[in-house]
Amino acid sequence: MRQLNAGDFEFLLLATRWTILLSLYAAIGGGIVGLAIALMRTSASAALRWIAIGYIRVFQGTPLLLQLFLVFFGGDMLGIPLGAWLSAILGFSLNAGAFLGEIWRGSIQAVPNGQIEAAKALGLHYAPRMLRVVLPQASRIAIPPTVGFLVNLIKSTSLAAIIGFVELTRAGQMLNNATFRPFVIFGIVSAIYFVLCWPLTVTSRRLERRLALSTRR
Amino acid sequence: MKWLTRMLAALVLLACLATIRPAKAQTIDEILSRGTINIGVLVDLPPYGILNDKQEPDGYDIDVARLMGTYLGVKVNLVPLTSPNRIPFLLTNKVDLIVATFGITPERAKQVMFSIPYSAIENVVFAGKDKKVASLDDLKGLRVGVPRGTVQDVILNKTLGSAVKLARFDDDPSTYQALLTGQVDAIAETGLTGDDFYKNHPEGNIERKFILLQQPNGITMRKDQWNLHQWVNTFVYFTKNNGELNALYEKWFHKPLPNLPVF
Repeated sequence: MRQLNAGDFEFLLLATRWTILLSLYAAIGGGIVGLAIALMRTSASAALRWIAIGYIRVFQGTPLLLQLFLVFFGGDMLGIPLGAWLSAILGFSLNAGAFLGEIWRGSIQAVPNGQIEAAKALGLHYAPRMLRVVLPQASRIAIPPTVGFLVNLIKSTSLAAIIGFVELTRAGQMLNNATFRPFVIFGIVSAIYFVLCWPLTVTSRRLERRLALSTRR
Repeated sequence: MKWLTRMLAALVLLACLATIRPAKAQTIDEILSRGTINIGVLVDLPPYGILNDKQEPDGYDIDVARLMGTYLGVKVNLVPLTSPNRIPFLLTNKVDLIVATFGITPERAKQVMFSIPYSAIENVVFAGKDKKVASLDDLKGLRVGVPRGTVQDVILNKTLGSAVKLARFDDDPSTYQALLTGQVDAIAETGLTGDDFYKNHPEGNIERKFILLQQPNGITMRKDQWNLHQWVNTFVYFTKNNGELNALYEKWFHKPLPNLPVF
């Protein structure tokens, strides 16, 4: 058993870097997958809709921990070793894609049907209709639940510890197992998570207010 | 958490099946020609494996791994593992072998291959000074804390069954803490670390009661690594005889290497 030292705090901050980067990549990857899923889910083709529904059911219905496990160790079984980084990004992106897809599907469907009919009446095809009419309005509705999900995503990156990825929570555990000072260490870890998540919530509220102002009639 | 253990077990089984694929077994020659050996270690089990004050892996297991590298003449690449992912990492070829205080049991030997013991862990029951706990029977009716999935968890469950209320914790610090804060009446834990911990917390009035068992640990390999296994056994035998293993043990445990049975 040893004492805590200044280097330990530095170690936690360095581990925070991995939490931030993993959250960032997972949000980008999840955003791309999520957009595709949301568009498929609201498409006119029944086949695309069913594929998207199947995808969402699988990823929402199984634990994230096991999805990570499967991507990491499954890759090796298939002869494609991915490594901890790539597996974590892939696992979180696939999972976030399912949740964001469902959130955005709801936002797209919340845009009044009259808007879509009006766009059609103006002769707009699918792409311009979506890009110019539906998505800008849907994105406003989507902001609060999306931010809520991203805050959760940041916190769930701690699950990557199962595949040997040392991020903030795991780093805290490792230090605690050497120094046995749980209250100090996990107190700091919680504070760091708070610092990461809180600005996101504040920004979301500001953004919401500004967008609400721009559409006030 | 039971589903988790079960799913993990299923996945480990899957991982076993995967090893049926063209053997990627690391022989001693392959390791020598590659110039590095990937060794899985724990960093959360003091003093076997911890992060030292420079936040680097350190401890008895790590020293043994480094000594192995010296004898092989190759670079040692330490891979930090957690106790639940040790076997999957090994079976999916992510490490060549593990030196991770892995207790030798017949169940585990169905999946992996153990070297002769290179260390032993002493499992001790701790409880408050006012409690009369001198044998397994005295634990009946008490709430006993153990780290989940460990040897002491299995033993208490097997011998006492429902007579004892087991509280399973995620890691060692939580188990020690639980006894200190009175969430459990007794715990079964690593002797040396417990002595240390409760000496630093005299307010708990906690003392060591009796030794549950001495668990010899082996260096662990995949089942088809016979060639490497033979070298590792030779290494353990040699360093045990020339005193090097004992010196490492003294460094971390301040007492001589216990008598380790061989097989």
